[in-house]
Formats: sequence, C-alpha cells, structure tokens
Amino acid sequence: MTNEEITRMEEMFDNLKADKYPLKDYSNIGKRGPRRVDGIQKASGRADYTMDVQLPGMLYMRFLTSPYPHAVIKNVDTTRAAAFPGVRAILRYDDPELPETADLGGHVPQAEIILGRISYFQGQEVGVAVAADTEDIAEQALRLIDVEWEVRPFVLEPEEALKPDAPLANPEIFSFGNHFNELLLGEAFSDIKQGDIKIGFAEADKVIEFRSERRLHTWVGPERPCGVFRWNGDCPEVWVKQQRPHIAKRVISSWFGGTPMNKIHMHCLYQGASFGGWSQVAWNFGGHYCAAMVAKRTGRAIKWTFTRREDFFGGEMDEGTYYLKVGAKKDGIITAVEGKAVLANQQWPVFHFLKHLVENTRIPNIYGKMYVVMTNKGPNVPTRCEQNANTHTQSLVFDHIANALNLDPTEVALKNDGEHGHDMEWLNQKKKERGFEIRDSLKECIEKGKEAIGWDRKWHPPGTRQLPNGRMHGMAFTWAHEWDDSAGSSEMAIRIERNDGTASILGMGCDNGVDAENSYCRIAADEIGMRLEDVYYNPQIDPGFFRMTPDSSTNMSINGFAIRHAARILKQQILEAATGPIAKTQRGSFPPVFPDAKPEDLDIKDSVIFSKKDPSKKISLAEFVGPSRSAGPMTDFENLTDRTVFSAPLFAYGYHVQTGTYSPHHYRPRFCRQAHFMEVEVDTDTGEVVVTKVVNVNDVGKVINRSSCEGQQYGGTYMAVGRGLTEEVVYDPVTGVMLNGNLLDYKIATILDINGPIDTILVETGMGYGPYGVVGIGEDIATVVPALLGPAIYNALGSWIDDFPITPARVLKALGKAS
Amino acid sequence: MTEIPQQECRYLCPYCSNVLDSFEDLKTHVLSEHKAESIPTPEGLIRLTVNGQSYEVKVEPEWTLYQLIHDKMGLTGAKMFCDRGACGSCTVIMNARAILSCMTLAIECEGANIETVEGVSATHPQLIEKYAEHHAMQCGYCTPGFVVTAKALLDKNPNPTEQEIREALAGNLCRCGTYPQHPIAVQAFVEDRGSVKDDE
Repeated sequence: MTNEEITRMEEMFDNLKADKYPLKDYSNIGKRGPRRVDGIQKASGRADYTMDVQLPGMLYMRFLTSPYPHAVIKNVDTTRAAAFPGVRAILRYDDPELPETADLGGHVPQAEIILGRISYFQGQEVGVAVAADTEDIAEQALRLIDVEWEVRPFVLEPEEALKPDAPLANPEIFSFGNHFNELLLGEAFSDIKQGDIKIGFAEADKVIEFRSERRLHTWVGPERPCGVFRWNGDCPEVWVKQQRPHIAKRVISSWFGGTPMNKIHMHCLYQGASFGGWSQVAWNFGGHYCAAMVAKRTGRAIKWTFTRREDFFGGEMDEGTYYLKVGAKKDGIITAVEGKAVLANQQWPVFHFLKHLVENTRIPNIYGKMYVVMTNKGPNVPTRCEQNANTHTQSLVFDHIANALNLDPTEVALKNDGEHGHDMEWLNQKKKERGFEIRDSLKECIEKGKEAIGWDRKWHPPGTRQLPNGRMHGMAFTWAHEWDDSAGSSEMAIRIERNDGTASILGMGCDNGVDAENSYCRIAADEIGMRLEDVYYNPQIDPGFFRMTPDSSTNMSINGFAIRHAARILKQQILEAATGPIAKTQRGSFPPVFPDAKPEDLDIKDSVIFSKKDPSKKISLAEFVGPSRSAGPMTDFENLTDRTVFSAPLFAYGYHVQTGTYSPHHYRPRFCRQAHFMEVEVDTDTGEVVVTKVVNVNDVGKVINRSSCEGQQYGGTYMAVGRGLTEEVVYDPVTGVMLNGNLLDYKIATILDINGPIDTILVETGMGYGPYGVVGIGEDIATVVPALLGPAIYNALGSWIDDFPITPARVLKALGKAS
Repeated sequence: MTEIPQQECRYLCPYCSNVLDSFEDLKTHVLSEHKAESIPTPEGLIRLTVNGQSYEVKVEPEWTLYQLIHDKMGLTGAKMFCDRGACGSCTVIMNARAILSCMTLAIECEGANIETVEGVSATHPQLIEKYAEHHAMQCGYCTPGFVVTAKALLDKNPNPTEQEIREALAGNLCRCGTYPQHPIAVQAFVEDRGSVKDDE
C-alpha cells in the first residue's frame, strides 16, 4: 500500500502533539443518537452474558472459601463431598496435576498460586474446588468438606497494621512487616517530593492540618465473576467475563505446556459491568485454570462462579487514613502541602495520593509519604479507579484551605491550576509548543458550572442557610484534570461486506457499557463517508486481534486512532478500486467504474461514491462491491461479460500504540480539566444527606459520542454519591469476618438517592492527545465526586466530616447528637 | 441392584396417599375409591403461562422461578445480580404484579400467568425502542429488570409522573447509574403511545 495514512499512522504512535489531521466536517461524531448499537439487545433481554451461557453437559464449579481471616489448611477430607450425589470432580491443593506455581492468576500478591493452603482474608478461595451437576449441589458439597485449620492472628485496620507489634498479614511474602511498598518498590513509590515544604510553610499566611478517613468500599459488579471453559479436542474454547480478553488468551496459551494462540477460541460476551476490579488483576484466571483442569478431567464444559459475597472482596485502593497539612497565602495561593497516608492492601501501589497536586497544580512545595500496608481483608485493586486516593486528597486539600481562608473555592482552584509547580503561563507555553490552541480549560469549566448551579447567587458561608423544610443547605465545588492518557495498544480493522456494502468493524474487546462501539462506528462512518446505520461493530468476535479494552485507564484515545487510520486507509482503497480496472484476471477485466477519474477526483458521502466534479456520476457502495452470488463469485466464468463484477476485498486495518504517562519517564503535560458542583440538604435530626443538584462539567477535548459522555457523567455521579454517603464494607473486629457482603446491607445508590437534576455539560477545547483532540471521561466523575460530599456537608453544617462514607451516624456524631 | 425385600415394600395411592400392602390391593383401592376422579398431578408438576404460552413442567421443590425461566426455559433476560431480593434484576410480572423471580419458588407458581422481559419486548417493542434511543442502559445487565418493572407500572398507571416512575423503579439497582434516563424513556413511550391511542 502506498497510502499516505500509513505514514501518518506511524507518525502518531506515542503522540505528543495536537492532532494535525482532524476532519473538516463532522456528520456523526459529536452528535447524540440515533440509538445505541446494543440498545435493543440489552433492553429486550436478548443480550447474553457469560453467566447466561449453558452448554450440553456443563458442570458448575465453586470454590472452598476460608471462614477465617488468616489461617492454614492442615488437612482436608473430601470423602463426604465426593460421595454426594451429583458431584463429578473435586480438585484439591494436593492433586498432583495442580502445579505448585505457574502464571495462573491467583489472588495477588500471590497470583501464581491457586487453591493454596493459606488464606489471607476471610472468604478467600482456598484448597478445594468442586464441580457438580448444579451450582446448588456444588454448594452443598463444599459444606461436606472437613477442613482442619490452623488459625493465625490477623490485622484489619491500616494504621494497626503499621504498628511494629502488629501480626503479620502475610508472613510468606511480607516477612519483613506489613508495610511493603517502600521496601519492595523503592522510595519512588512511597515518597513524593517537590520544592521545599519548610520554605513553603514559612511563606504561608495560613496553615491548616486535618485527618481524613476513607473506609473500605468495593465496586460490586452486577454479573458475578465467572467463566466457562471447555476443550474441543486439544483446542480450548473459553467464555471470559473479563475486560482484557487479549491478556486472558495469552495467559491461557501458556498453560499445560503451551497451546498455540490460533487454537484458542475466545468468547467475550456482554459484561455485567466492568470497572476494573476482579476482572482485571485478581482471581479471574485462577477460576479459568481450575475450570480448564476439571474440564480436561471430566470431558465436560465447566462454568466456574463466585458467589455474590465472594465478589465483595476486591475493594478500592483508597482505603486508609490521610494526614494533610496545607499552607497558603491570604489570596489563596497554596505554598506548601505535606501529607502522610496509610493505605491498605493496594495490589498496585504505584499511585501516590499527592500525585495530582504535583502533576496538575502550581503548588511549588510538596512532600508526601505513602505507607501501603497489608491487612487481612483481601486485595484492593484499581477499580474506577486507581486515582481515587488522589482525587480524595485534592478535593479535601482545596476545599479545606479555601474555607479556612474564607475564599471562594473556584477562585482558589483557578489560582493554583498549573503543572509540576509551574503556573498557567508556563503551561500555556507547553500548549503552544505542542500545537494546541491556548484555552483555559478550568476557567471554561468553572464558568459553565457556576452558571448552571447558580453559584454566585446561592453559595454562602458554612452553616448559615436553613431551608423552609428545616434542613440545612450546602453547596460545594471541586475540580481535577483528566488522566486518560495511559499506555496501550490497539488493532482494529474494517471490512466492507459483499452484497450490501455495509461496513463491519473488527477487533475483539470487552463491552463495558459505555457504548464505545457506537463511538468507533461514528468515526468510521464520518471518515469513510458512510451512513452511521451502515457501520456495525460486534467486539465479541475473536478475529485474532484485539482493540484496546478499558484496561489501563484509556480507551478512545488509543482505539480512536486505530479505527481512524483503518477508515482512512480503507477509503483510499475504495477510491483506488473505483478508478481502476475491476476483477482483473488472465481473461481480462471489467473497466473502471469511474474510467477517467483519479482517486482524488472522487469522494464518498452517505455510502455513495461520486465524482466531485459531477456528483450525478455515482455508485452506491453496495452496487460497487457487488453480490457474492449464490454459488460463489465465479459461477459464469465461461462468459466474462456475464460474470459478476467481483472486486478485490475491501479490508483495512489500523493500529496504535502509546506508552502513556503513568510512567514518570513518559509524561505528557495535561491540559483538559473538569469541574463539579453539588447542592445538598442535611437533616440535622436524622443525619440524612439529600443530594438535590449536581453539575458535572468535563472538558473532553472533543465529543465523539455525546450520549455516551453524558452517561459517564450522570452514571458516575450516582456511583459517587453511593461511595460518598453509604458504601462501606464492614468487618467484625473480633472475628475478622466481612459482615455486609450483600446488597441489602451494602448500600449502592438507588434512583431515589439523588433527588434533583444532574446537569451534564461537555466542554470541547481540543486539548487532548487523542484523535480530534479527545481525552477520556469514563473514570473521572465516579472518582472525583465522592469527596465533594465532604465540603458540601461542611457548607451545610459548618463542621467538617472527613470520614467517608458520610453516613447519617457520622453526621449526627459531628453534630454532637450521637457518640 | 439390590432387590427390595417384599415386607418392606408399600404402595402409595397417588390420589389420597393411603398406603397399601400390594400392587393388587392398590389397584382394587383405586378402582373402588377413585374411579370417577381425573388422574392426579404428579408431584412437582406445575402448569403455568409464560409470555402467553402454556407450560406443564416438572420442577424440583427448591427451584426458584428464576431458575425455571432462566435455566430451564432459556428466557435469559431475567438476570441474577444480588441473589437475594435486593436488586430487581430478575423481575418478572406474575398475575399483574412485578415480583422478584429469585425470591419465588417455582413450585408455588401453579396456575400463574408470568410475563418476562422477552414477553414485554414482544408486546411493547416501542418501549424497548425508547430505552435504546434514550440510552437507558450501560452494561445492560440490570436493564431487563427495569423494563419489566416499568411495564408493570404502566399496566396499572398508563400515564405516570416522573416521581411515580422513580418510586416504581426504586427497588431496581443499576451500578452504572443510568437512573436519570429511565423516566425519560418511559415517558417518551407514554407520549408516543398516547398518539396511537388517539388514532384508535
């Protein structure tokens, strides 16, 4: 191919600049509707999820879980379970076919061990798996297993775990103590340092200190963790409830001495929500590994499942205690921030809780120390998202200091916006150097948000506005940058179908519900010149290559390039085919459809190829690609003139790769911001907090799929309100047992938990590194907004409750009405 | 197979559960006492209507209605999310009421008239269309439960207010937070249906 786009494709890898090649006109990109690609399937109940899969003779597999937070299996007797009617196989830790270690995907940090003998949290899958005719029989059989346990001491609370005499939560891996991030990963992952905080605090007119708690919460996917595995001869066929099917395939290929990639048949059906969590880094492959072994042994398909309760293990990475000290000038310029945080069980302890303040503010002097400790509560994993600790800190730092100085927090935010201690002038210079239009993203977001919520009219000093209904009114603001600029790679292709000239997008990926498929269809449609309804994308098909799925905080900014390249290369292919001879064989060929034209003389619009000079000369894509004919394309080969016009297959691929900025060595300054506003009413008798209005303003650079972006705003806001007000996984301190691992006692937000409008505002500055200037939005709102409840309630009551979730009990405690 | 000793063998009358000593005694008993009665229903057999179709199915006593419709009938639109009556994802309409199929024993559904999301989508395709058009879903796992609950509401209250829709859907959990779109989709359906009604 001599396509110019191929050169551009390579030029855009690891993109560090503004997009030089956006479209001039957008037909579908940025618009709302007409409707979701998956909408009818999902609303009508015809969308299948892995939990819905049933195969002939399929067995159900469940795992033994530990009743103790920390214990060792001394001995297991599975005789009674094996004799239970309907039990077909039992896999034990001491089975010779179970390898001691391999890349199996057990619970991190010991991902290489499945069905181990030691439990490090109550509820951990250990020792035995049972496969039976039904899930109920498997469950019954598990109860018939006699286990002799050696119970060990345990520790649950992060600050307790840090004490020198604390029990070791995991003596096998962390024999040196529970505090592990610094020792294992080095100071770079525990300390963050910029400037000199001594100087910063000396310069400050006001210094405040406060402590905050973020109790353990978890994401609770609607579809339980599960998977289906069967062997078709020596070929595995696998259904993954997993947002990284490409990694699943690679891992599976490494098992049992190796299976060639091309023999593994993957299915990645719709996912009952996928926000990271289990599906990403924890036990997902372990279930499949056990299923693969039992499937081999029994010759049957195996569906493995976790219970609803087992899905509660795998919490968020912001669980812990934060100590913060902030110094600022009278005018709101922050001069120094010092922080210490003790965070629990992070299985990816690389995101410092002060990182956002370094990377996206002009605060010159920052020092923070992060202690990541092991406790006996199960892994905390990156789940919408790993920035939770950061956004928690940023919101509280800014809102506390603004209130302490009696300043408008929106003004304080604007005064401190910047990057790595540099001010906006410096950042604007970076925008210029990289070819972006110079716009003040935060200012634009704040202006729009203030107007939508009536900030200037309604914002008031804390604890001063009682409503006619007796409740106290509060309102608050917070902000952040957007961080969808991470690492990833993507391969996507487009094929023009015979007969009707419709386009199919190829590239396996997981559907995480954001209607991303529609976004890629929009890009393909606008880039090729097709009608949106002529483009379809089913990411569940495994063509042997994979698009980036939401697996490292980025998606559109990578896949958008891949699909755009594919579309542009394909368009050029179509135009070359339309101007060249068709069906060239040794017997001759058909003349070109546009005999006197060059590719650049033609264009495509509404799925019709036409001459730019004379638009009446046209042919639809369907007519151009021609029929496949009932008996194949070459049925009437004797008479060339009657033969079907069978042109070359129209198929093109694009790909993109970027290192992203999670590594400090590959940093790209971020230019897009977000601002969120909230109004609450607090009942001082009951402690109830009612959210009455939320305004989300996100600079997404460029909108591709408007409904999808808005869905992330109001959807994220609902998740955030649950996280901020009610979501807490509670453990019994005496036994170490999780007490509320169900959806009756663990409260996620319902439709009634926001009692008022959520205004969703999208700003388009084009200052993202993705195609057309996009940045992401999916992780932002659910991550940034939870801590906004703190300042909103402060504004209502005049006292800070820095203990999240802010339950009615904690509100009453702050009001002195409960102990 | 071990032969059962004769003295331990008893014969149970399927009509009245009387115990007889021999098969001949049972025959005599049935002919004399129950000749006029229709054949008794075998244990566990239930008759019910699902989406307008009549079914006669043998169920185990521990099966939930969810297991029956999802696992046995292949109507996979009802979804298992919370597993204990907290989320509404397995909602079906039984005898005009929205109920949780995970909390209902199949064996208790004798004579019931059940409507699942598959039935709703057949009778109310415009409601499904409005859900798709107004983006009232993300991952989609809980969506069928919302659709069925909304349909049950519309059966009772054909023109609900936004607040009435919110209250009707308050028992349905959505982790993606699609909540604001549901009243919009339902009201859009009502508006369109209103114009159809006028034509009638």
